Amino acid sequence: MRADEVGDAFGLNPAVGYAALLLVALTTLLIGIYGLRISRTTGDFYVASRTVRPWWNASAIGGEYLSAASFLGVAGLILISGADALWFPIGYTAGYLMLLLFVAAPLRRSGAYTIPDFAQARLESLPARRITSLLVIVVGWLYIVPQLHGAALTVSITTGLPAWVGPLAVVVVVCAGVMGGGMRSITFVQAFQYWLKLTALAVPAVFILLRLGVEGLPVTGGGAAFTAGLNTTAGASLYSTSSLVIALLFGTLGLPHVLVRFYTNPDGASARRTTLIVLALLSVFYLFPTLFGILGRIYTPDLAVPGASDATVLMLPGRIFDGAAGDALTAFVTAGAFAAFLSTSSGLVVSLAGVVSQEFFNGSVRGFRRAAVLSTLVPLVLALLTDSLALAGSVGSVFAFTASTLCPLLLLGIWWRGLTDAGAVAGMLAGAVLCGGSILTAALLGPEASASPDWLRQPALWTVPAAFLVMIVVSRATRGRRPAGTSRVLARLHTPEAPGPRLAGPRTEPSVD
Amino acid sequence: MTVPEPHRLHPAPDSAGPPVRVRVTAPRTSARPSAGAFPVTREMAEHSAVGEVFVGSLIRSQLRLALVVAGGFLIILTGIPVLLGLFPSIREVTVLTVPVPWLLLGLGVYPLSIACAALYVRSASRNEKRFQELIDEG
Repeated sequence: MRADEVGDAFGLNPAVGYAALLLVALTTLLIGIYGLRISRTTGDFYVASRTVRPWWNASAIGGEYLSAASFLGVAGLILISGADALWFPIGYTAGYLMLLLFVAAPLRRSGAYTIPDFAQARLESLPARRITSLLVIVVGWLYIVPQLHGAALTVSITTGLPAWVGPLAVVVVVCAGVMGGGMRSITFVQAFQYWLKLTALAVPAVFILLRLGVEGLPVTGGGAAFTAGLNTTAGASLYSTSSLVIALLFGTLGLPHVLVRFYTNPDGASARRTTLIVLALLSVFYLFPTLFGILGRIYTPDLAVPGASDATVLMLPGRIFDGAAGDALTAFVTAGAFAAFLSTSSGLVVSLAGVVSQEFFNGSVRGFRRAAVLSTLVPLVLALLTDSLALAGSVGSVFAFTASTLCPLLLLGIWWRGLTDAGAVAGMLAGAVLCGGSILTAALLGPEASASPDWLRQPALWTVPAAFLVMIVVSRATRGRRPAGTSRVLARLHTPEAPGPRLAGPRTEPSVD
Repeated sequence: MTVPEPHRLHPAPDSAGPPVRVRVTAPRTSARPSAGAFPVTREMAEHSAVGEVFVGSLIRSQLRLALVVAGGFLIILTGIPVLLGLFPSIREVTVLTVPVPWLLLGLGVYPLSIACAALYVRSASRNEKRFQELIDEG
């Protein structure tokens, strides 16, 4: 079902939709403008001059990470696939555990601004840097597209406007915000949006549960909500579940908009602390989409068709409350959904613009602004040309691609002395070709689950090890190309910043223990 | 008599029209080290043979720690579907109408991952503190 058709079939009170969208867009711009007043230097634009505290930073990471796939997609998947869908939020959250264990502190200490910078510093090779930049840009573009699909769905359901309005609105607001304040203002915006998204689900959830409890209406239908009979998709095989979990766990490591946030921590220890807080914030958040999904299995079973299931979160409050109360709660979730597209897209655009402007525009502030426009236009065109079937699924493919390309580069670059530029490039290209090829082939074969085998639709389980293997084998074969500065770089990545006199910047939080 | 001014980038104001504006930018490929980095420790770690040994052992112990925590987490995570596959009767057990698989996957995994993360943050900081003490003594 196209986004317009879903909108026609289940249209809500348009005034509510307009109010919610305007409110979020205005607040975002206002905070962006406030940020602009205190963004002065190039460092502010790129990494907020590295002065962001762990709680702010963690909220910002949460705000940026919780995308359309989390806010709408998880509940939609639970509606159609039941318990199998619970692996999605688990993977999204536990990805941060892997990030904490293998990447957070060393990457912060690397002193690089972006993943391509890291590649160049570690491998002392310009070609390796170029390939990495290219992959970062592809990943970023592919990840923005589902956000814009989500915006199309939300706007057309809540306002009845045509589907192209949503993506366009997101692109305009994001461009304005990013070009205005860069990373500093985006940090404020993102931190605000985590709490907005959480409230937008938590408040309606509490009211819904209260009403169901008071009136003695079924919450789980005596357990009926959990029966597999309500699923409209076939049960996932062990292969596809494990492949999905691998993709989500290791894809998070390489997401460009997540990594760029770690550079805004003052030091490695606070990068770790930040990640721990993020894990807690995400864990709290995902309880609510899960709850909406379960309630949806009783109250919105009519949405359990491809293309419409993502609307569960938006439709549920109106099914349980009539009139003004229903409108108010719908406005809440609509605002949260819009915040989800805005924050993830802005985060991606900031990190993409950082990479693009360094690569092509000399890294100046004006270059950053031009790059920001470029980074939003391409996904906008892609989003307008394609249809979305399930947000969580398409985002899962992007995670698989990241896990097969940027993740091996980061893990081996940080932990293995033997990595060479030739190995890194070969491994990333192998992962990109295998994983990208599988996903494209599966897409061409058709959207039905039966049209293509599991190993094509969920390739991460074999493409991630393949990328690692190629990277290791080629590095071993090109031993002579090991960069001369490897020991120095690795020492820098892993040695703690000693407590010493600070010349500039505010004091950092004391590290945990 | 004029004094030569070798360091002036711009032509003197009186030579030809207004001074030319020069934009000073640099490709941002290597950022400054993080605030608070205390160079002496790193200097030691990077340039002395002893320092290199210490760094090597720090990296190994951090990697071992990360692998142990990740392995433990993944084993418990894969244990859930394995357990449900081996003992299908667990699927029938419910708490307040919620079946146990939903409870484990929807609620149980999150505290587990937070606990793993907290454990790691503590231990990793301890490893670094130990390294710091070694360097300070040496």
